[in-house]
Amino acid sequence: MFNGPLFTEFRAMAGFAGRFLREGFRPRYEWLELANQCYAIGYQSLPLVGITSFIMGLVLTLRLRPTMVQFGATSWIPVMVGLTIIQELGPIITGLMVAGKVGSSIGAELGSMRVSEQIDAMEVSGTNPFKYLVVTRILAATLMVPILTLLADAIGLGACYLGINLQGVTSVALFTNNILGRLTFGEVLPAVGKTFFFGFAIGLIGCYKGYNADNGTEGVGAAANSAVVLASLMIFLLDLVAVGVSTAFGFI
Amino acid sequence: MPTASRHIRLVLFVLAGLACLAATLVLLGQRQNLFGASLTVRADFRNVSGLLTGNNVRLAGITVGTVKEISILNDSTVRVVMHLNRDVQPHVRKNAVASVGTDGLVGNTIVNLTAVAAPAPLIADGDVLRTTTPLAIDEMLQTLSVSNKNLVGITQDLHQITGKLNGSRALWELLGDQHVAANVRQSLRHLAGATATLQTSATDISQLTRGIRQGRGPAGYLLTDKDFAGQMRHATRQLARSTDTLAGTLGSLQRQVQTGAGPLHTLLTDTAMSGQLRQTLGHVEQGTAGFNQNMEALKHNFLLRGYFRKQAKKKAQAAGQ
Amino acid sequence: MSPALPPAPAAALPAPAPGAEVVLTVDNISKSFGDNHVLKDFSLTLHRGENVVVLGKSGSGKSVLIKCIIGLLTPDAGTIAVLGQPVATLGHAALDQLRAKVGFLFQSNALYDSMTVRENLLFPLRRHWLADHKGQEDKLVHEALDDVGLPQTIDQLPAELSGGQRKRIALARTLIVPPEIILYDEPTTGLDPVTAREIDQLIRHVQQKYHASALIISHDMNCVRLTSDRVILLAEGRSYAEGTYAELLASTDPIVHAFFE
Repeated sequence: MFNGPLFTEFRAMAGFAGRFLREGFRPRYEWLELANQCYAIGYQSLPLVGITSFIMGLVLTLRLRPTMVQFGATSWIPVMVGLTIIQELGPIITGLMVAGKVGSSIGAELGSMRVSEQIDAMEVSGTNPFKYLVVTRILAATLMVPILTLLADAIGLGACYLGINLQGVTSVALFTNNILGRLTFGEVLPAVGKTFFFGFAIGLIGCYKGYNADNGTEGVGAAANSAVVLASLMIFLLDLVAVGVSTAFGFI
Repeated sequence: MPTASRHIRLVLFVLAGLACLAATLVLLGQRQNLFGASLTVRADFRNVSGLLTGNNVRLAGITVGTVKEISILNDSTVRVVMHLNRDVQPHVRKNAVASVGTDGLVGNTIVNLTAVAAPAPLIADGDVLRTTTPLAIDEMLQTLSVSNKNLVGITQDLHQITGKLNGSRALWELLGDQHVAANVRQSLRHLAGATATLQTSATDISQLTRGIRQGRGPAGYLLTDKDFAGQMRHATRQLARSTDTLAGTLGSLQRQVQTGAGPLHTLLTDTAMSGQLRQTLGHVEQGTAGFNQNMEALKHNFLLRGYFRKQAKKKAQAAGQ
Repeated sequence: MSPALPPAPAAALPAPAPGAEVVLTVDNISKSFGDNHVLKDFSLTLHRGENVVVLGKSGSGKSVLIKCIIGLLTPDAGTIAVLGQPVATLGHAALDQLRAKVGFLFQSNALYDSMTVRENLLFPLRRHWLADHKGQEDKLVHEALDDVGLPQTIDQLPAELSGGQRKRIALARTLIVPPEIILYDEPTTGLDPVTAREIDQLIRHVQQKYHASALIISHDMNCVRLTSDRVILLAEGRSYAEGTYAELLASTDPIVHAFFE
């Protein structure tokens, strides 16, 4: 079992992560490239993530409403939607969208750079391609996914507010009080914390797949594809782990 | 795109994200008194009904603090340490009473602080507050049940007495004294009054039950609403009082009949009087019927069904033994 | 003067510039991937100002050789000395310094797709030289582009260029940090004959202008003829024959002869 291709792959990926930790925090630091990657991974994903979370917030509110009306508990809609978005939907939607958009593009970009010897070219140009390409992307994904998630949460809650006001009336103050009244640090902080791991997984898997792409253009497509699939799967696995850990620490 | 403009956008993007986080944390922190000055008070409860650290402390319905620590002192005492906002210090006095309550139907458990109308110095750090056990719906229903049984017994007694009164010829002769007649009339007037009260309270309860059954106001209202609890208690107490009056009146009547003192005769030959008496008894019966009906309704109410089923089981067990 | 190469069956070495120093020594290196022994005890020497072509069939380990020279691969055995420094034992910083003096023209050009021509050229410049040449960057970029005859492409992306143009830009990127040794990995492969001849001429032009030595990997006989001062035939993992183009052309050895048909 420990010699299967899956395990070999997993071990290689762990080695890749170890290399990231060893090389990532030693000079020379590629600040400019890190900023560029943050821009590409974070800022440029915002429209996509924003639209999805807006729709999810709105749809969730409108779907919940009839049921809550039956129970005479319409005042609970903000709390339910808020908790759902902040704890699960925001992080997961952001993670999946970023995995789809960024994971594939990292996989394809590094894959084609590998195949067309651009990575070798960087190395002979006095640049550590691992630092320049991999470390910056993993770091950027790790830092940007939480930010994207926070903004996605805010947008989703805004959509919820809008959804409530479509069929009823609530004020911003009441709405925030409704949500905040039920939230605790133990519910918010783990939800934010896990997104760092989501981002790390997306960056790591995308880079690993691209950096180790097989020769040939086919390898590039395979790298991009498997990066998305694996990253999406990993996000759900990490989410499961996050629930387990939060429960173990008594946050839930 | 020029790099500088990209960087500005990136910085704005990051700042926006961090602002969201900061806003959430600050707002949550305010609610949990992480940042404000606070004073610590304690209260010892017999039962905290699932209170957790972080639950709110309310004064007159306003959140003024949070529960910081819950520890078991011994098998019947739980110590709850609370942090209160400094700003409410001028409004809480040492004699305030703490009780554990619930916030809404499925809401959090909370600690309620209730001011007592008596002079006392302002609360200070480290004070221990008095506590009360909140009125439990179980106890309320038990009292109600006892009152109901009493009422049934009384009505049966009354029936017997009227039967005797109607059937015994010797009795009519005994009742010759004018004085007693006046007494009895007065007593019966009392009785009429008492039954009227009884009926009113039965109607009260009936209304409440109907309200519950129609789901007017979520069911949590029944369980937690102080107003309702008060009303219920009031109704029960009134019922108990009226049964007491009734028992007293009937007791004196019985005594009079048994001793044969005084001319009850006059009274009993008075057709108008006996009509009144019959009507009164009708009222009592009606009232009791209504009350029984209410009890029945309560038994079928989904929230209390479990309770009654348990009672029935207990009774069955007792009968079995 | 010229060092004797152990397995050289070919005729006398062509005389490089008299007294020319040795800039590159490959000494008995071996490299294998699994059971595939690509290089077996291969040796070669490169002198200053000399163009040496390593000729061999596809898959004969030519690319592996120059990747070992630049330090992208590490040989299993043997040593490589570039400008007197042993490549395999150098640390990161020293290796980077050494690489600044060695140009590498990749077979697939390896232009950075996401950058314009200008940014492509600036990349090695900034990486190797850092702040020293801040003010001269523009001048150096234009100079390098003029060398390869494509000054007008400066703001284009690699994807907008033709294959020949891309090769020239890649060469310009190799030249922008003036190299002492240039390694060409199949410079004419995949190009049409006309463009290939232009590249060959460019290689000669560069040799004259920069007085750089060049190690050229190729199996294009026209390229070999036009660019070589000396030819080494790589077969079965070792240096099978060595000499000038004319000498090898005259060889009667069947393996050597096979390349010239």
